[in-house]
Amino acid sequence: QENPKINWRLTSSFPKSLDTIWGGAEDIAKRVSEATGGNFTIQTYAAGEIVPGLQAADAVSAGTVEMCHTCSYYYVGKDPTFAIGTAIPFGLNARLTNAWFYEGNGNKLLNEFYANHKLYGMIAGNTGAQMGGWFRKEINTVDDLKGVKMRIAGLAGRVVEKLGVVPQQIAGGDIYPALEKGTIDAAEWIGPYDDQKLGFYKVAKYYYYPAFWEGGPAIHAFVNLDKWNSLPKQYQAALTDAAAYANTNMMAKYDLKNPLAVKQLVGQGTVLRPFSQDILDACFNASMEVYKDISASNEWFKKIYEDQVAFKKEGYLWMQLSEYTYDTFMMIQQRNGKL
Amino acid sequence: MSALLRFSSLIDRLSEIIGKFSGYLVLFCCLVSAGNALIRYTFNISSNGWLEIQWYMFAFIVLMGAAHTLRLNEHVRVDLIYGAVSDTKRLWIDIVGLTVFLIPACAYLAWICFPFFWLSWMQGEVSSNAGGLIRWPVKLIIFAGFALLVLQGLSELVKRIAALMGLAAVDTTYEKPLQ
Amino acid sequence: MFAYGVMPPLMFLGMICFMLYGFPVAFSLAAVGLFFGILGVFTGHFEEVFLQALPFRIFGIVSNDLLLAIPFFTFMGSILERCGLAEDLLEGTGKLFGAIPGGLAYAVIVVGAILGAITGTVAASVITMGVISLPIMLKYGYNPRLATGVIAASGTITQVIPPSLVLIVLADQLGRSVGDMYLGAIGPSILQVTIFLLFILALSIFRPKDVPALPPEARGEMNAALVIRVLWGMIPSIVLIFIVLGTLFLGLATPTEAGALGVVGAMGIAAMHRRLTWDLTKQGMQTTMRITSMVVFILIGATCFSLVFQGMNGGLWVEHLLSHVPGGALGFLIFVNIFIFFLAFFLDFFEIAFIVIPMLVPVANALGIDLIWFGVLICINMQTSFMHPPFGFALFYLRSIAPKSVKTKDIYLGAIPWLCMQLILVAIVIFWPESVTYWLEKAPVVDLDSIKIEIPGFGNGGGTGGMPNFGLPPMDGAPAQQGGLPGTPNLGEPPKINP
Ligand code: NA
Ligand code: NA
Repeated sequence: QENPKINWRLTSSFPKSLDTIWGGAEDIAKRVSEATGGNFTIQTYAAGEIVPGLQAADAVSAGTVEMCHTCSYYYVGKDPTFAIGTAIPFGLNARLTNAWFYEGNGNKLLNEFYANHKLYGMIAGNTGAQMGGWFRKEINTVDDLKGVKMRIAGLAGRVVEKLGVVPQQIAGGDIYPALEKGTIDAAEWIGPYDDQKLGFYKVAKYYYYPAFWEGGPAIHAFVNLDKWNSLPKQYQAALTDAAAYANTNMMAKYDLKNPLAVKQLVGQGTVLRPFSQDILDACFNASMEVYKDISASNEWFKKIYEDQVAFKKEGYLWMQLSEYTYDTFMMIQQRNGKL
Repeated sequence: MSALLRFSSLIDRLSEIIGKFSGYLVLFCCLVSAGNALIRYTFNISSNGWLEIQWYMFAFIVLMGAAHTLRLNEHVRVDLIYGAVSDTKRLWIDIVGLTVFLIPACAYLAWICFPFFWLSWMQGEVSSNAGGLIRWPVKLIIFAGFALLVLQGLSELVKRIAALMGLAAVDTTYEKPLQ
Repeated sequence: MFAYGVMPPLMFLGMICFMLYGFPVAFSLAAVGLFFGILGVFTGHFEEVFLQALPFRIFGIVSNDLLLAIPFFTFMGSILERCGLAEDLLEGTGKLFGAIPGGLAYAVIVVGAILGAITGTVAASVITMGVISLPIMLKYGYNPRLATGVIAASGTITQVIPPSLVLIVLADQLGRSVGDMYLGAIGPSILQVTIFLLFILALSIFRPKDVPALPPEARGEMNAALVIRVLWGMIPSIVLIFIVLGTLFLGLATPTEAGALGVVGAMGIAAMHRRLTWDLTKQGMQTTMRITSMVVFILIGATCFSLVFQGMNGGLWVEHLLSHVPGGALGFLIFVNIFIFFLAFFLDFFEIAFIVIPMLVPVANALGIDLIWFGVLICINMQTSFMHPPFGFALFYLRSIAPKSVKTKDIYLGAIPWLCMQLILVAIVIFWPESVTYWLEKAPVVDLDSIKIEIPGFGNGGGTGGMPNFGLPPMDGAPAQQGGLPGTPNLGEPPKINP
């Protein structure tokens, strides 16, 4: 049969309340169905409806559901290489992420790695550079980081731990009260639009930027490898296109929603603060140490990380000539009220 | 039958020892949690390992304590019918329930939880949080909990059949557990 | 009804039958889930491998830190029950209020509220208050129905007053913060205590024989010494309230850890009363272990059921049904509350929270209902499940400690006025949402056009004008210009707001 009737389940790592990031899953489902005349349908489930959010890819590996929409770096406990799929500290921005995945070796190399876990991955969303999180007090120097109890997950936790931050993984529902009462001193989440809904601005007024650990984090759609291989070619194409559409659309939505949200947050008393050059430098160095450590013991990580670094060197030269110069000029016009 | 009853009392003993141990973990878990809060507040230090050990203990209390709880008939029931019928009928309700509900369900859960543990063991999976713990022990607890429940279920079945045959006494009194 | 096939309604029916059968709920739920799981494979709803989501879900349950509150609060309750704190409180306040009609009943309500602010479980309050005050009330001529009713009702207040296990579990199910649930529950707790006190006041006016004042020989001399003794007796309670709620609001502990600190505090008070023995501790931890295991196994059973229910499109079915209840959000709320009130006749709150609430959340969300308000509302409603004759826990505890002279019928009938009061409270909160939301912080309204954010570091020295000198190395490999050039963006300088 040319266009068989197929119905898949997709489990998302995100709750429906994070509408933008959850919307990526719905975009995929909608596009696939439209492109196949309703023959290939994907039913979407929010985090917890089938499996808990942090175990979405495990469920896909096991074949429990056909696919998921998740962040690759949730699975660094299995292998640190998973981190590169989403973002690593001082990694790529959203533009370069796309370039590395689509036209560089990113997709190819990572899919070789994901195959060990019976997964086939496609990037299907990006939040853009995230915010560095909410702090109860100002962080001016590297010393100020010492003893800061921060809710920060994954590899970034390992990096800031080297500078004396105390990474704390606490239950989702506990973050807000813990931050409110100073049980923790800081928490990072996503960006202005999503952070605003959780109300962190009410309890920690310093809002730092940028999240150097998430310069352009990609959201992944993972498909069970066997299911992917058994999918008719035209459905593979439809799904690939749908993921690419979701990738663009999520970035677009965030770029529309975040500017308004950040203004609202400022109006609600949020104080914006950049991480100082010193802090960024120290974290950068700490990250390089972490990468050296991991590379020494993990072949996959070493191979894929080095490919990304090679790409990053060229990419950031080009960014300076193109985007940076143009953007800076335009930003000055913006600030001078000439736009 | 007497061999079966010996098997049953052996299982009972095993569940009881594990159950008692789970009880001690309740106290220990409280102390760890209170300690975490105090140490973090006074010395500004903390570790994800000590936070995670709390729910590792919780997992043990829940899963490994379930068999002992079953032995004491303290899993909550809707006692509209059970509370109103005779002892013999209660024995029958339990015999059917154990054979049709508990043993197959727990055996199936143990069966699918084993590969879940095994994969984690093979991958050497660790927590994704900085300073977190290795993961397979807690996944092993999930498997072991259901396995122990299957054994305890068999033991309860043996005792109830023996009671129907007049070979042993089973106390079927049931009180809704306090909360 | 059958918009999503016959399977979802059949599963619902199956669940009720399996549960009524009388085998432990946890295993019946798991079995009905797996039974329909097999059916689902045959009907082509999913493949067998779909059921392998269960280990992930069970792992999700045991790794949920919030559920640690269950053993902590249960353990604290079982120690409080025997540590002498409630006795001190009741004795003092009883003597203080004894002289006025209804005095003992006021004392029970006030002590119920104080215990409520310390602990999060019902058993501790009802049993201690029942053991101490029921005999006194009966001895001095209280109507037995009123006496048992006021004790059962005051014992259940703890579920609405923070800290509360029900609120923690609901916060988890609703995906909202425990802190906000606590804040939202403040208003309704005050309302509830007020309604109870007013009811006793009305009784003392219209039916004074039911609630007589204590004779002087029973209440002792009313003097300054007594007041001081009563106040002194309250110190341990105040300390405990501080330990559990204070540490939370001071930032010493998370809501979960506050429970653990409460255990330590309760043990301290028991030790002060010289009642902290190893036996008591051991009993407490064994009971706690069994209750924790029992409760969390209901959750495990429920997760088997709800996975298969999802697989059968049950979630869509419930959403479809509930979103067709007439009357929009209000209609939905009224329907849901009546539904839960009836479910509470034969399910207890954990079963409702774990099985029913997850089905309601998406609909409530879609209707734009504030989930904190919704949660608090459900919490008040579920409080009635403790008092429903004939299966309510509170009534059950009372039966086990009440003297033979109190008929079971009295206990059942005694509960009814208090159930009505709680329904009145539910109605008040439905039609007056501010009773919940008043305590929640509201976001200020922002005029976006008035907000100007200026990020420094662009242009020459942060000023306006020309292009920055980037200091980039030229392409031909000549040495780069050294840093610190004028106009290089200073990325570390904070932005200016409304310059
Ligand atoms: Na983030
Ligand atoms: Na309470």
